[in-house]
Amino acid sequence: MNTTAIAAEDDAQLLALVQAGDQSAMASLYDRYSRLVYSVALRVLRDGASAEDVMQDVLMQVWRSPSSFAATRGSLGGWLAVVARNRSIDLLRRRRPTDSVDEIALASSFNLADEAECSVLMERARGAMQQLPHPQQKMLQMAFFDGLTHTEIAELTGDPLGTVKTRIRGALLSLRKAFQP
Amino acid sequence: MMPTDRNPAFLVSSGGTHPDPADLTLYAMQLLSGDQSAALVDHLAHCIECRAELARIHGDLALSALTVDLEAPSTSARQRLLDQVAREKKIVPAAQPTAAQSQTPEPEARPIPVPSFGRSGSVLSMEERRPKRGTRLVVLTGLSWAASALLCLTSGLLLRDRQNQRANLTQLGRENARLVADAASAHELMDALTDPAAMRVSMRLPATPKPQGIPSGGVTYNSRKGTLVFLASNLAPLEQYKAYELWIIPADNSAPLPAGVFHPDQQGNAAVVMPDLPRGITAKAFGVTIEPDSGSQTPTMPLVMFGN
Repeated sequence: MNTTAIAAEDDAQLLALVQAGDQSAMASLYDRYSRLVYSVALRVLRDGASAEDVMQDVLMQVWRSPSSFAATRGSLGGWLAVVARNRSIDLLRRRRPTDSVDEIALASSFNLADEAECSVLMERARGAMQQLPHPQQKMLQMAFFDGLTHTEIAELTGDPLGTVKTRIRGALLSLRKAFQP
Repeated sequence: MMPTDRNPAFLVSSGGTHPDPADLTLYAMQLLSGDQSAALVDHLAHCIECRAELARIHGDLALSALTVDLEAPSTSARQRLLDQVAREKKIVPAAQPTAAQSQTPEPEARPIPVPSFGRSGSVLSMEERRPKRGTRLVVLTGLSWAASALLCLTSGLLLRDRQNQRANLTQLGRENARLVADAASAHELMDALTDPAAMRVSMRLPATPKPQGIPSGGVTYNSRKGTLVFLASNLAPLEQYKAYELWIIPADNSAPLPAGVFHPDQQGNAAVVMPDLPRGITAKAFGVTIEPDSGSQTPTMPLVMFGN
């Protein structure tokens, strides 16, 4: 917990510097979160160049409007990850007529040696995801990473709409529960 | 009310009606249509409980995002970002409070135990996110930000103008280099044609006089400089995938040296101008053969033109 508190403190300081126009703070922000933001965008878009565009866009949003994130209310890394996912889905929706959403992103080697806490959290999140019943896990990924609506998921899986919505909700609640003390 | 795919369902709770949390989840994931979202947006505007739940859902989504396998962006991405940051350099007014200052405890702020992640931002209202300020301060701040924005815009325009001028300068530099190269090439060609030391040879069919309509040509060759100009006329058209090839026959009786592949035009005229040749090859004769389109390293007999 101490590590988290220190990281949050650092993020607040970083954002203060960004707000003050300190360009080197953006370099620190990039070093800290670029891989996470890029990886989320890449997971959604499955195209490196597009994922970098999204990463650039999201990080520039912090530079242009650091107040859009209130550091006292949560994790900057998590916020960036969710914003990156949303931006990527926006982009994906414009491309849907030509891009297949059935491809699976490939895992690759990564190095989070400097961010041990983040690494632990990611391992826990992956573990919690793997513990989900397969239909829940699949539907959450279809919704979150593929940007499919519940109607589209229902059409693809043949499950009733209500079941799809319940499973997505249930999957998220299970993840939440896995991180509760 | 049962959830439907058209409109979000609102459930009755002890505190009144609230959206079905499953719909709130879809809303948080931006998977509802505009119509479907509208009712939820209206509700969220005045329901603190649902805003808190939405924040918790966004926290759950952040956990989902953490399940990705980490990949590194390209090495150029960092510099690209920093370049963009430099281009959009901020002018921060002296009176502008920093984020650190704005993070002083807010007496009325309600602690929410999970992160707040909005639709590409926060769903919490601006009133909840920023301390209240006096109207005057707001106006002054607005004016200072407007001035900053104007300055940024002007700087951006100047920067773009400078970049355009730099691009034009680069283009002019390239054009100048091309013209210099062309001039040097033309000068070299003139030297090759007018050099008194150049060897000039008329070529025709071997062992024949020069009747009209018979292929003929002339070579101007300078062995010291390795320059050669060959002009020919009355050349017969060739079969497909065939070409004429000019040969230098060295004076030291070494193997003939290929000096250029060429095709005649419709009038039977052709030229080989300044082929890439080694220097110092003294020629005793020149010949032309018919070879495959790509040329040969050894001549294929018979000679269709010869001169010495």
